[in-house]
Amino acid sequence: MLSFVEEITLLLLDDTQGRFVDLPLSASDVVVAGAALMDLALADRIDSDLERLTVVDTKPTGDDILDDALARLAQPGQELSVSAAVEGLAAYAEGYKEKALKRLVAHKILREENGRFLWVFPTRRYPVIDDTEQREVKARLRQLLLTDEIPDPRDVVLVCLIDACNLLGLVLTADEIKHTTARVEQLSKMDLIGQAVTRAVSEIRFIVKHATSPIF
Amino acid sequence: MEFAQEQAGDVVIVRLAGRLDSGAARSAEDGFNGVLTADSPHLAVDMTKLDYISSAGLRVLLVMAKKVQQAKGKVALFGLSPNVREVFSVSGFDTIFSIQPDSAAALAAVR
Repeated sequence: MLSFVEEITLLLLDDTQGRFVDLPLSASDVVVAGAALMDLALADRIDSDLERLTVVDTKPTGDDILDDALARLAQPGQELSVSAAVEGLAAYAEGYKEKALKRLVAHKILREENGRFLWVFPTRRYPVIDDTEQREVKARLRQLLLTDEIPDPRDVVLVCLIDACNLLGLVLTADEIKHTTARVEQLSKMDLIGQAVTRAVSEIRFIVKHATSPIF
Repeated sequence: MEFAQEQAGDVVIVRLAGRLDSGAARSAEDGFNGVLTADSPHLAVDMTKLDYISSAGLRVLLVMAKKVQQAKGKVALFGLSPNVREVFSVSGFDTIFSIQPDSAAALAAVR
């Protein structure tokens, strides 16, 4: 089973292009940071409530991405709000994404292709070579979103992450998205870390939108 | 955290007390697994003495609710303190669970 960091890195890749989907860089960092926190929560290393996030076990997980995140959270005397933890880890998310891509290549889910843009600038893409995992996740989430089924905690996290990235179109048709707004909202609320990720991404989108709007 | 159970006819009443957080999640999960052995479990969960619930505690309840749904059983919660109720409201768990004011209403809801 893939970690949430690997899962969201994979979902952020456009299947056909092998490049990341269009999302402000800082928003994708927030989502990857949130995924790392959600992995740590499900590995019983952190816990959270409406006000704060607490490290409850500093024992390494054996996953170098998560252990790096855990070490950063477990600094002595550190007490964080969930939002501060998400934003703090986002600074390291680019490195987490790189590691996740290497693992996905090692698992033979992706292939790394190096090329040149205009014969000069080096480029890299990651076409999907085994989409079994992606197809299974999408089918499971589709079933969950289109019914009243009670989700399991892993699926709640995936819905939160996909919704935060505006990637529901990977799972549902445009018409289905229109009819499942309430259901998506219901499921996205169910993870407190997921709520902080969604808030942070919305703020980034707001800033990007207004920073690029014409003044007149 | 304390986990106690008693039988009331065909309904199992589970009483939770203390803090349902990461430290208590495993024992609560084991407790619920012990209760969810019937073909079609009917549960009323007394949360009158539950002072605190964290994300880890919510996950335990979510897994329990999913198992009850899969077994075509019923579950209702009652006696939520204001702070626990706030967590349910913010997380939307109040849309997943039947939340009743007292034991009588919870028993009626799951029968």
